[in-house]
Amino acid sequence: MSNPPKPALECRDVTVKFGDVTALSDVAVSFAPGQIHAVVGQNGAGKTTFARVAAGLVQPTAGAVDVMGEEIRTGHVNQSRAAGVELVHQSFALPPSFTVAETMEFGATGKGGVYSRRGLSEKWRSHLASLDVQVDLNTRIRDLPIETQQGIEIARALVMDARVLILDEPTAVLSPTGIDMLFARVRRLKERGVTVILILHKIREVLGIADTVTVLRGGRKVEGPLPIAEVSAERLANLIVGDAIAKTLDRHERDALVGTKSPVGEGAGHPETAHGPSVLSMKSVSTRPDSEGTALDGVDLDIRPGEIVGIAGVEGNGQKTLVRAISALADLASGSIRLAGHDVTGEPLGARRAIGLRIIPFERNVEGLSLTSSLWQNWSARELLQGSLLRVIRPATVREACDRSLREWSVHYHNSAQKAGSLSGGNAQKVILAREVDRGARLIIAAQPTRGLDIGATAFVWQALRQARDRGVAILLISSDLDELFDISDRVVVMLSGRVNGEFRAPFDIASVGAAMTDAAARKSA
Amino acid sequence: MNEIIIAILRSGTPLIYVTLAGVIAQRAGVWNLGLEGLMIIGACATIVGIMLTNSILAAILIAVFICVLASVLLWFVIDRLKANPIIAGLGLTGLGVGGTALAVQSIFGSQASVTAPFGLPKLGPAFGAYGVLSISVAAMPFVVFGMWVLLRRTRFGLRLAACGEHPFAARSVGANPSRMRLVALSIGGVLCAIGGAELAAGSLQFFAQGMTAGRGFMAFAAVIFGASHPVGATFAALFFAVVGALGIRAQLMFGDKIPHDLLQALPYLATVFGVWLSGKLRGGAKAASSFAELKDQ
Repeated sequence: MSNPPKPALECRDVTVKFGDVTALSDVAVSFAPGQIHAVVGQNGAGKTTFARVAAGLVQPTAGAVDVMGEEIRTGHVNQSRAAGVELVHQSFALPPSFTVAETMEFGATGKGGVYSRRGLSEKWRSHLASLDVQVDLNTRIRDLPIETQQGIEIARALVMDARVLILDEPTAVLSPTGIDMLFARVRRLKERGVTVILILHKIREVLGIADTVTVLRGGRKVEGPLPIAEVSAERLANLIVGDAIAKTLDRHERDALVGTKSPVGEGAGHPETAHGPSVLSMKSVSTRPDSEGTALDGVDLDIRPGEIVGIAGVEGNGQKTLVRAISALADLASGSIRLAGHDVTGEPLGARRAIGLRIIPFERNVEGLSLTSSLWQNWSARELLQGSLLRVIRPATVREACDRSLREWSVHYHNSAQKAGSLSGGNAQKVILAREVDRGARLIIAAQPTRGLDIGATAFVWQALRQARDRGVAILLISSDLDELFDISDRVVVMLSGRVNGEFRAPFDIASVGAAMTDAAARKSA
Repeated sequence: MNEIIIAILRSGTPLIYVTLAGVIAQRAGVWNLGLEGLMIIGACATIVGIMLTNSILAAILIAVFICVLASVLLWFVIDRLKANPIIAGLGLTGLGVGGTALAVQSIFGSQASVTAPFGLPKLGPAFGAYGVLSISVAAMPFVVFGMWVLLRRTRFGLRLAACGEHPFAARSVGANPSRMRLVALSIGGVLCAIGGAELAAGSLQFFAQGMTAGRGFMAFAAVIFGASHPVGATFAALFFAVVGALGIRAQLMFGDKIPHDLLQALPYLATVFGVWLSGKLRGGAKAASSFAELKDQ
C-alpha cells in the first residue's frame, strides 16, 4: 500500500460496549482520502455501530477517532460534523412532515435567522440541483418515494462541507436500478473530493464500486482496508462468513448470503413439486386506501401447495398491505380471497388461522412477540386463541409442550418463563417459527423473515421454510433482498404501486426483475 | 357588539397564552397535560405576589419564576426519570390545583379566595370601550406572531419540531432532544404564568381555589384542534372563547327557557366537538414520541 499523507478517517482501537454486549472490539482502521471505501460484514458485525461512532452518535467505551489527522471529541455529533463527517442512515432519519427545503435547513449550521418559505426554496434549490436530486422543494418527505428520500438524505448530509460521507447500507432499500443511480452519485462525490465510506453487505456491490474493502465480523476487524484489486469474491465471502460457519453452509447458500455475484439466480430448483388446487387464491383484490400503506389495486395471486412464492419490490409498494389483506387486517374494496378452498373474503383472522394461515410478521418485536410476556405465553398464543375463551388452561402442561417445541427448534433459552424480550433476534425468530410452522399450517406468510439476523439464523430460517414447503405447505415470502428471494423461491412476483407488475420463474434474471420493480417509478420521476 | 368582543378577548386571552405553551411543548414531543396546573400556579402566584410585594411587575416575575420552576420539574420527571409524560402532566395539574389552595390557606388563613388591591395595568381611556382590557390582551397578538415566527420560520423551530417528530433525526444533526424539551417547557412556563396572571389579574383582581376550572385542558384541546400550529391553535382557543361568550349571552337572553347548566357547559361541549372534528380531519392525534426516544434502530 502507498503511504498517503493523512487518512481522511482513522479509528484507533475503538471499543463499544452496550451493557454486557460488545458491539465493537479494538477496531483500528484508517481510510485514505478521496476514495470509495467499502465496509462489509453480516448483521451484527458492528458496521452500524462503527458508522455511528464516526458520526458522533455513539460514544465509544475506549479508543479515539481522527479526521484528517486531527483527533475529534468522540460522542458529539456537532464535533464530528464540524470536522466534516456526515452519516446517511439506513432507514433515513428525516422527519416525515418536513418539506424538502425544511429538511435541508434543519440540518444546516451557520447563519440562520428568520426565513421565508420562498427564501428557503431559493436557498436550497441549487444545492439539490448540484447533486442531481430532482424534486419540488415544497413536497413533504412522507410523500416522496423511497429512492428520492435517499437522495434527500444524502443532500441533507452534504449541506455542510462534508469531507467524509458515510452511507449505512444505502442499497438495502433500493431496486437494482436505484443502486446503479446511487453508485453513479457516489462516484460524482468522489470526483468532488469527498471520501465516501459505504457500508454494504453484498460482495457484488463492493466489487462494483469500492476502491478498498474492510471486513468486520463479530465486532472485530478481520481484514482491511484491502485494495479491491487484491481480493477475489471467493476470499471476501470467506472473510465475511468466517471459516467456522462457511463449512456448515452449502456453497449455494453462502453465495446467497453474501451476494457474491449471481446476476442470474438459479432458484429453488423444483418448481414441479407444486401441484393440486391453490392454497391461496386472490382474485382482483383491491383494498380501501388507509394511512398504513399503499393500497392494493387488483391483485391476482395464486399459491399452490409445496410452492414458495417470493414477493419482490421496493419497500412501500403494497407488500405490507398484501399481508394485511390476507390476514384480514385491511378492508377490501373488491375482489375475493380463498384459502384452501374456503372463501374467506369476509372472514376474520381467527377463522383464517383455523383453516391454516400462519404469519411470520414484518416486525418481529412488535407484531410477532409480546416482549414482556414469557416464552410459553408467546408460544401458546396460537392454540389458545383458537379455542374457547373460557377453556381452562393448565400452565404446567403448556410449558412442557412449549419446552418440547422450543428444543425441537433449537432455541437457546434458559427456561420457558423468561421474557421473550431477553432473546437475541435469531432466537426470537425461532420462537415465532416454532409457533407458526406447525402441522396445521397450510399457508405461511414469511414477511422479511431474516431481516437483522446473522448468518446462522438466516440459514436456519431458510431451512425451516424449505422443509415446510417440502411437506406441502404453501409459502408467501416477502423480502427486499433479491438474493434471498432468488435462492429459495420457486416463483417471484414483483409488486409496484400496489399492483402485480410481473411474474418470474427460475432461473431468475436480476435485470428483468429489477426493471419490473421500478418501471413506473421511472415514469413517475420523469 | 363591543361588549361581546371584550368578553371574548377577556376569556380568550388567558386561554391563548396557555395554548401557546401547549403548542411549543407538543412540537417538542411532550403532551403537556400539566397546563391546567401551570395556569393556576401562575394565577395564584400573581395575586399572592401583588399582596406580598405591592408591585405588579414583581408579582409577574414571581409567577414566571415559579411556573418555569414547575415546568423544569415536569421536564426532570419526564426526561430524566423517564416517567410517562401524560401521568407526569396530570400530576403537575394536581400539584398546581391542590398546592395553590394550600398556599392560599396557609398564607391568608382559611379563605377560598384572595382579593388583590389592583391588577394588571389597563389600556386606558385612549382605547375607548376597549380601555378596560389589560395590556396583556393587547400584547397577545404580538406574542402569537412571535411564536409563529419562532416555531415556523426559524431553524430553532425546525429543530424543535424534529425533536418531537423524529428525535433520532434531530440527534443526527447535532440537536439535543432532551435540552430542546427543557427549553420548550420553560418557554411554556413563562406563557402559562402570563396566562394565569391575565386570568386572575386581567379583568378580575382575585384568586379563587380551582379558578382555572379546566381551562388548561381546554387549551390542550385547542393544541390538538389546531394541529400544534401556533396560529391554528390560537384560533381554536379563540373559537372556544367565542362559544363561551355566546353561552353567557344566551344565558341572559334565554336563561328561563334553556337549562342554565347546559349553557354553561357550552364551551366544554365545543371542546369535545373540536377534538372530535380534528380527529375526523386528520385521522387522530399523533402518539407522543418523547419518551420513545429511538434506541438504535
